[in-house]
Amino acid sequence: MSIQTAFEEATETYQVPRLIRLAPNLYGACFTLMKMIPARFILRRAEARGLLGPDTVIVETTSGTFGLALAMQGVHMSRRVVLVSDPVIDERLYRRLTDLGAVVDRVPAAAGAVPGGYQAARLQRLAEVRTEHESTFCPEQYSNPDNPRSYASVAELFLECLGQIDCVVGPVGSGGSMCGTVGNLRTVLPECRAIGVDTHGSVLFGHADGHRELRGLGMSLMPANLDHRLFDQVHWCSASAAYAATRQLHRRHALFMGPSGGAAYLAARWWAAANPSALTVVMLPDEGYRYQDTVYDDNWLRSAGHLDVAVATEPVRVSDPTRPVGSWTCFDWGRRDYAEVMAGTARAAAREDR
Amino acid sequence: MVAVQVLSPAADRRYRRAGAEVGIGYAPAHHGELLQGIFTDATGQPRRALVTLPQPGRGTRATFYPSYSHSGVLGPPERTKVRRAAMLALRHFTSSAAAAKGGRVEIASNVPPGIGMGSSTSDVTATIRAVADFHGVTLPADEVARLAVLAECASDSIMIDDRVVLFGHRDATVLESFGHRLPPMFVISCDTEPGARVDTLRLRPADYDDAELAGFGVLRAALRRAVALADPALLGRVATASARINQRYLPKPHLDHLLRACQRHGGCGIQVAHSGTVAGLLFDALAPDAERRLHRCAAELERGAADTGIAITGLIGVSASLAGSPAPDPHELEALTR
Repeated sequence: MSIQTAFEEATETYQVPRLIRLAPNLYGACFTLMKMIPARFILRRAEARGLLGPDTVIVETTSGTFGLALAMQGVHMSRRVVLVSDPVIDERLYRRLTDLGAVVDRVPAAAGAVPGGYQAARLQRLAEVRTEHESTFCPEQYSNPDNPRSYASVAELFLECLGQIDCVVGPVGSGGSMCGTVGNLRTVLPECRAIGVDTHGSVLFGHADGHRELRGLGMSLMPANLDHRLFDQVHWCSASAAYAATRQLHRRHALFMGPSGGAAYLAARWWAAANPSALTVVMLPDEGYRYQDTVYDDNWLRSAGHLDVAVATEPVRVSDPTRPVGSWTCFDWGRRDYAEVMAGTARAAAREDR
Repeated sequence: MVAVQVLSPAADRRYRRAGAEVGIGYAPAHHGELLQGIFTDATGQPRRALVTLPQPGRGTRATFYPSYSHSGVLGPPERTKVRRAAMLALRHFTSSAAAAKGGRVEIASNVPPGIGMGSSTSDVTATIRAVADFHGVTLPADEVARLAVLAECASDSIMIDDRVVLFGHRDATVLESFGHRLPPMFVISCDTEPGARVDTLRLRPADYDDAELAGFGVLRAALRRAVALADPALLGRVATASARINQRYLPKPHLDHLLRACQRHGGCGIQVAHSGTVAGLLFDALAPDAERRLHRCAAELERGAADTGIAITGLIGVSASLAGSPAPDPHELEALTR
């Protein structure tokens, strides 16, 4: 038997999400900072493998929570961290990152005009940064297989706490959390369903790259860590719908989470209600503090046109995943790879044209 | 090293045995593993470990005849590990009063060797217990485990008979205790390749890939829940996943055929010997109609035996007794001594 022990370092406390019942068959997996799981795992593994020399600088392209997680773990490991970000980085996040000792390297505003947008510009700047230092280590969250692998610990927790899980719903960005959690769960539960939540203008599941108002999910470039074959269903959720769901999560369950979690909650609540015998878990990746002046501020919502927007009670089922229609749509992906789905969509479109 | 367990009950036995010239030890067999792989220990280090499925109906009885004049040990010539185990156990008792110098070990066993039922660990454990018994001592399970691993390099955990453990079979460490017993189950015991024998000494340790390594932690977590909540369905899923991983290393022919048969009859899953040819179809003993479904499934496998070559070697009750076959008392096992 073991006794309870103290934590060795602050980032260790971020490893375990809290599982909270939201409906008879729906549980929320509430993370304070989900990206800490891959960030901590990748850096510690790199150190254990001897990939970090005495002067190795940790470099990564990120505007969000992955950078924060790297900067925090960098403190524990006494490492220099350089983060390449968009020109518009949240001011409070910027101050926190720099207080943690990280260098934030912002790409110029004009870089957003090129194809691939800021994400492409950031990758280019990252390559430059790497040449400026003698030794660098880039965690490469979008392609490093240690990113999905790190979520085995989440699958372990889900299995120990809940056992037979029938469906996992979560927002998709790098693909790491959903592919890692579901992929590992399926070692024991091969039938467990996966529902990915994306947003309009994200290329992950077929939309053309476009302006994305809802942040924290979706991508402009296809990440290698996204294994499309794991997904049974995909939802696209607009900013208005996600914000409304985020506030409902707060009002109904006293859960103060970010809007990517709100988007996932919207899809999960609908699916769990429609499948009352299926035990469902929804991933809620971060907390609401960063959004207090936006999603949690009615004046901001009103001025941005998101307040009192009627949100559908169920998604519109679409047969073509490439066409963004409505504020909330869903598509049966059927555990196929990306090319197969796109080829099927193109054939269907050709038939329609005839 | 001085034996530490000579408190009143053992001392009493010792007195009773004062005139006895022999020591007797018993150990059960097992039916392969519910889970085997590489797991992290309390210090975060990876270790090879397994969870054994005990098989109460089979076992080994060892009788130790001491010698005070000769330091060697005689044993069954085909069971070299028995002699090693007896020597190691004797060394353990050298400082105790009336220690034997050497002796002879007789083995009576109904555990078929080479098919993954742990015949050699059963022999070795019974032998260590017999030598200890002669010295009037009941050794603690972890000491028996340590001696068994010394005697045969890798050993299963049948000597730990009061707990379900994740056992480091190469260093005799308990990585985790899951609980006191497995959920009540019935097992159809099959030999997937009758006549084939696996030489465990020649078996190379499995070279698991990264995905498999991550999966072991997940399987361990699921097993923790399955034992704690006595959930045979979840336990069956864990065993099935472990059996599938093993297909890359010591594949069982017709595994999918067995699994489908199990599922058709409402079973929970399948487990295998990771160093042998046996496979077990797991059934929830408390499910309605469990025994009828068990027998129907077994009958179906018998009918297909001409095509698959699979032989049914028996029906086993784990934490449960099957009607018509009373639970054997492992410490009597008179059948073995007749």
